[in-house]
Formats: sequence, structure tokens, C-alpha cells
Amino acid sequence: MAKTKTKKRGGDAAAQGVDPRSSGRIVPWLFVLPPILWICTFSLIPFFNTIRLSFTDSTLLKPGKFVGLENYVNMFTDRRFQTAFFNSSLYVVCIVPFMVILPLMLAALVAEKTRIMNFFRTAFYTPVIMSSVVVGLLWTNILDKDGLLNGTFKALKWISTPIPFLTDRWLLLFSAMAVTIWSGLGYYMLIYLANIANIDGTLYEAASIDGCGGIRQFFHVTLPGCRVTMILVMLLSSMSAFRVFGEIYMLSGGSGGVGGADLTMTMLIKQEGTGINARTGYSGALGMVMFVVLGCIIGIEWIVQRRSED
Amino acid sequence: MKGTIKKAVALGAAIAMMGGLAACGTSSSSGTTELKFQTWNLKNEKFTSYFEDLIAQFEKDNPGVKIKWVDQPADNYEDKLSTDAAAGELPDVVDMGPEPAYTLAKAGVLLNLADAAPEAEKDFLPAAWSAATFKGTDLEEGTYGFPWYLNSGPTFYNKAVLSECGITVDPNDPPTKQDDIFAMADTFGKNCGGKYALTSGIPSIQDFGMYGVQLMNDDRTEFTFNNAKGVEFVQHYIDMYNAGAFTDDMLNSSTSGESKSFNGGSQAFMNGNAYSVDDIRKNAPKVFENLAITDFIANTKPNMFMEMLTVNATSKHQDLAIKFARFVTNSDNQLAFDKKANVFPSSTGTIDDDFFNPSDDTMDAEAMRMSADQIRNGEIWGPPQFTSACSTMLREEIAQALQGKITAKEALDATVKYCNERI
Repeated sequence: MAKTKTKKRGGDAAAQGVDPRSSGRIVPWLFVLPPILWICTFSLIPFFNTIRLSFTDSTLLKPGKFVGLENYVNMFTDRRFQTAFFNSSLYVVCIVPFMVILPLMLAALVAEKTRIMNFFRTAFYTPVIMSSVVVGLLWTNILDKDGLLNGTFKALKWISTPIPFLTDRWLLLFSAMAVTIWSGLGYYMLIYLANIANIDGTLYEAASIDGCGGIRQFFHVTLPGCRVTMILVMLLSSMSAFRVFGEIYMLSGGSGGVGGADLTMTMLIKQEGTGINARTGYSGALGMVMFVVLGCIIGIEWIVQRRSED
Repeated sequence: MKGTIKKAVALGAAIAMMGGLAACGTSSSSGTTELKFQTWNLKNEKFTSYFEDLIAQFEKDNPGVKIKWVDQPADNYEDKLSTDAAAGELPDVVDMGPEPAYTLAKAGVLLNLADAAPEAEKDFLPAAWSAATFKGTDLEEGTYGFPWYLNSGPTFYNKAVLSECGITVDPNDPPTKQDDIFAMADTFGKNCGGKYALTSGIPSIQDFGMYGVQLMNDDRTEFTFNNAKGVEFVQHYIDMYNAGAFTDDMLNSSTSGESKSFNGGSQAFMNGNAYSVDDIRKNAPKVFENLAITDFIANTKPNMFMEMLTVNATSKHQDLAIKFARFVTNSDNQLAFDKKANVFPSSTGTIDDDFFNPSDDTMDAEAMRMSADQIRNGEIWGPPQFTSACSTMLREEIAQALQGKITAKEALDATVKYCNERI
């Protein structure tokens, strides 16, 4: 059947004076040409250019000269890099466990297909569709010195002076983490929900017959059934945690905290790599370090996944 | 047929894609000379008619010339300037401040007007012309923009906050120097620590200049504000912080944060401008009831901010671009603009216009007179070499010094090293 169709097509092409084989080769390329151009222009060329820049002392208005590893060496004596790298790494360590466990628990709770659960699913997902600027403003108003939280605590006479959520180095960082968790739960919950829907229902029936309650069903059926998805969530959440920007930027008013103590890698790259005095060479080197770290995270989690599959 | 449609769609998509990439270009109308003039956030209800009339007048006086006016939004203006400069697409006449102008002048993008239009110097206030004159590493000494408008203003204070904090100010002898403020810190902190802030939290490079710190060496090739005077200045802020004279959230605050804090009644002193009185009257009526005014608080000369009109060194019509920039910045056109924009003129003698010297007894008039006086005697303290990255670094380092994590000397050494590496 396929042969007949090809023959007929070839016949049409031959009738039009076009070599059917060359036509068959060109058309697919024409379809993929736009995305190839797009990827080359906006991903591959900038990526290789960043690698090149990272070995130069170039600024935005000056091509710069080759300086070898100087940018990378300077980075390790740069206080701001040390702070940013530490904060981004701490973000990963603190955020990922919450992002893997909490959405799974939420998904298990709202997996049931009832109206009330539909409401909760929507409610948990709402922060995901909110713009990061709105989320930032919302939480700034909550956590500000005169904000909702301090106001409530004062009204309840729990505190006499405001808690410095937005000015203390650690409180600002942990507040930003709380915002990240709050706004990301719904997204990962949705991934888990798709996974839970694919777990064979007979496993729950069998567990129920064996006398398992909800909690034991969660630990003995849901959790093992979501193991691969948990690794995926771990990968996604650790990558986005290391690249954190919006939460800290908004909560600190763009300053990266008092004395820049809450700077993250992406904030530092933005500060060094944008503006009229941008040091594109140095920010390129910062970007490469970030790329390598994210590559390592992917590599480690790929190994973990392979082992868990075995 | 189906195959033909597929081919057509694929080919169309490919052409559209390439067309999109190639769509960047310029065009010029034939028969006329077109100049491109760029302003920063000035195309709006308030200013559009002013610029349209100005351009129409210039075009009428110069037949065959067409001015294409483009305006850029407030945010990321420096990014836009640098992108245009890197792409060789900077307009012929561009509105910008001294800091981006210094960087672009170093990159050879701006015309040295001291060479191209030396007769212009006499038309501008010496302080303004001097601030538009750059020298430094890898830069031929020259004037890289025509001064356009200036801004400065008095210092406002909240009498009720000061009184509650145990400080009485004699209205006939109000504080005028930074040392006066430092002397209030202990009493203020003792009575109001944590509740109110005496002044804004982190000093800027302009504050260093006003205190009398030498900011750069004579060659303008290195920063020197980590000298003994600079350390002494930062130490005053450390002492004020330790005395409780400002709150922790001031360490993160910007200029807008300072204004918010003053208008909210939780800050005693604020550097404002001639039009702040009306703003406070409308937006903070309770603060207005206790508002008082004094000269811009500075140990030396008060600070001014300046905006300039620069000329692209690669413009094909440099003479015409200079003529247009001089036309926009001439005394009459500056005066008309200043009245609309609530700013002050940089052209010689314009500040003596009655508009800037009202004779009535209102606080608005007093603020205007004080501002005009500061324009006559002020200084543009911020060195153009001191970039926004340096400002960020200075703020971060001083914040750490205030919190006791490093000393004043260490904070300034680190900032000077950082800025000298980028000069």
C-alpha cells in the first residue's frame, strides 16, 4: 500500500518534471530549517560565544583580548562570587527535599476525582500561573517591616519590634525559599498527579483488601509508583533552585540583600553582564561555572535514575 | 497537490524566518537631511507638545532638515544606549547623563565638543561644563556633551520627629552641614532608636564629595576615596548606626525608599528638590504640618545632578547635529523646558530668571530660591567614572561595615579596588 502511494506521488512529481528523490530530501529540510535557524541564532551561537568570551577581558563596547583562565582565577577571590555560589547551592540543598516530598503528598491528597478535590487542585495550582512580579510584591507586602505578618504578630502582642524578614541575611534567604516552595508546589503536584493516575488501581484495591489504610497505601503503593517521577522532580527543582532570581530580586528590592549578602549566581551574572559597563568576559565565565554545576546536577541525577531503574 | 502545499508552507516559513532576521535596517528620506534625536522618557502628555514645537521651529529655521525624534522608556536606558553604540546605531543627538557618556566617550562613540564647538563653553555654567569635561585612562581630555538640565534642592526635616527624639532645631539657625547631623545621632538614637531614622542609611559617592573627601586623583585615573577623610566619613555612619540613628531597613533603601520613609513620617531629614513641598503637601499632609526646610546639608558645596545632550562621533551630519543640540540647550529653550519639567537650567544667566527667584513667603518659594542658589554654587560631585556597578559595590561594602562585619577602611579599600579595576 505504501509502495503504491509512493509510486503515485513519484508519478505526480515526474509528471511535473521534478525528481521525486530530491524533492523527498528537500522538503523535510525546509520544514526543519526555521527551528534550526532559531536554535542556532538564539542558543548555539550565543552558547559558543559565551565560552569564547569567558577567556577574554571583553566589555560590551570593547571586544577584549584573550586572558586565558584569568576570569576563572579571579572568580575564586571575588567575595561576591563566593556569596552568590554559596547562596545558590544552599538554595538547592534546602529547596529540593521540600519540592520532592510536599507536592507528592499534596497530589496523593487531591488525586481523588471529586468536585471538592477539583477545587483544591485549582487552588494549589493558582500560584504557578501568577507572574513572579505579582508574587514578589505580594510577599513583600506580607513580610515587610510594616507588613501583614509583622502587623499580625504585633497585634497579638507576640513581638514588640518587627521581625526583619527582608533585611536579615538569613531570614531574607529563607523567606525567598518559602516563596519558591509556595509558588512551585502546584507545578510539581501536577506532574505527580499524572503519575498517580497511571498507577494500576488494582494495587490500591489489593492493598485495601490486605488491610492497608491511606497512609500505608501511600508508602507502599503511591511512593514506589512515583519513584521515577521523584527523580525527575528532583532534577527539575534543583536546576530551577540553582538558577533562582525573581524571588530574591523582588524581596530585596533588587539589591541582593543588605550588603549583597543574599546575591545568587543569576543575580551576579545579571549585575556583571548587563548595563553600559557590562564585563561580558567575566559574566561569561560566571555563566560557564553555572553551566558546569547544572551539568553536574543532571549527571548525578541521571546516575541515580539509572541505578534505581536497575 | 498536497505535496505542493507542504513545500509552499515550508518555503514560506523559511523565507519568513530569514526575512525576520534580516528586518533590521535603516531608511532615510531622499531630498532632506534627517537627524535622529533621542530623549529619555520624555514623550508623554507633559512634554510631547514642547518637543514637537521645538523640532518644528528648528526645521523651519533650517529648510531641508528633518528631525526624527525617538524616545526610550525609563527602564534600562543605559542598556539601550550600549546596545545601540555596540551596533553602531546610536542616534545623532542623544540625551544621557555623565556616567554613560563617559563610557561611550571612552569607546570613541561621542564627539569631543571642546574641539568641535569650543565657543559653546561660555554659554554654560562653569560647574556644568566642567562636569561634561572628562579625562581619564584611555580617553582624550574633552567635553563630551552639552549640559542640558540640572537638578538640586534643599533638605527637608520633620520637626515633630526631631522633637519627639529630643532634638530642638532653631528655625533661625537650622543644621546645614553633615557634621550637624552626625552630632545629633546619639540623642536621636537614645530616644528613638529603631523607631525612626535620622537620615537615609547608606551614603552615596556624592555624599563623600560633599563631606570633602577627595574622590579621585588629579589625573582622574584612580579613585582615592579610601583616604583618611573617606574613612572618617564612613566611621560617622557606623557610629550613627551603632547609636540607633537609623533602622535596618534603611540599609536596603534607595532614593525612592528614602522619600517613602520621610513621607511616612518615620525619617527626620530628607534631601528633596524645589517641588518636594507640593508633593509632601498632597501626599503626606501630616508630615507637611511639621515640615521645615534648610539648605542642602553639605560640609562643602551642595550636589547637583545633570543631564546632557551628546553628539554621535560617527554621525554623517555632525555640524547639523551640533547645531541642533545647541538649539535645544540654548537659554530660551532650556527655560521653557525647565518650567515644564521642574528642573533647572545649565545655561549662563538663565537661573536668574524671575521664575526661579519668586519673592513670596511660601515654603514653595523658599525651596525654589534655595534650589536656584544651589544651582549657582553647587557641584556635580559624582565622577562619571563611578558606574552603577561601583555604586552597588559601595552600598554593599558600607552596609557590611555598618553591621560590623568589616571596618570602614576595609569597605572603602574593597570598593576602590573594585572600581579601579573597572575604570
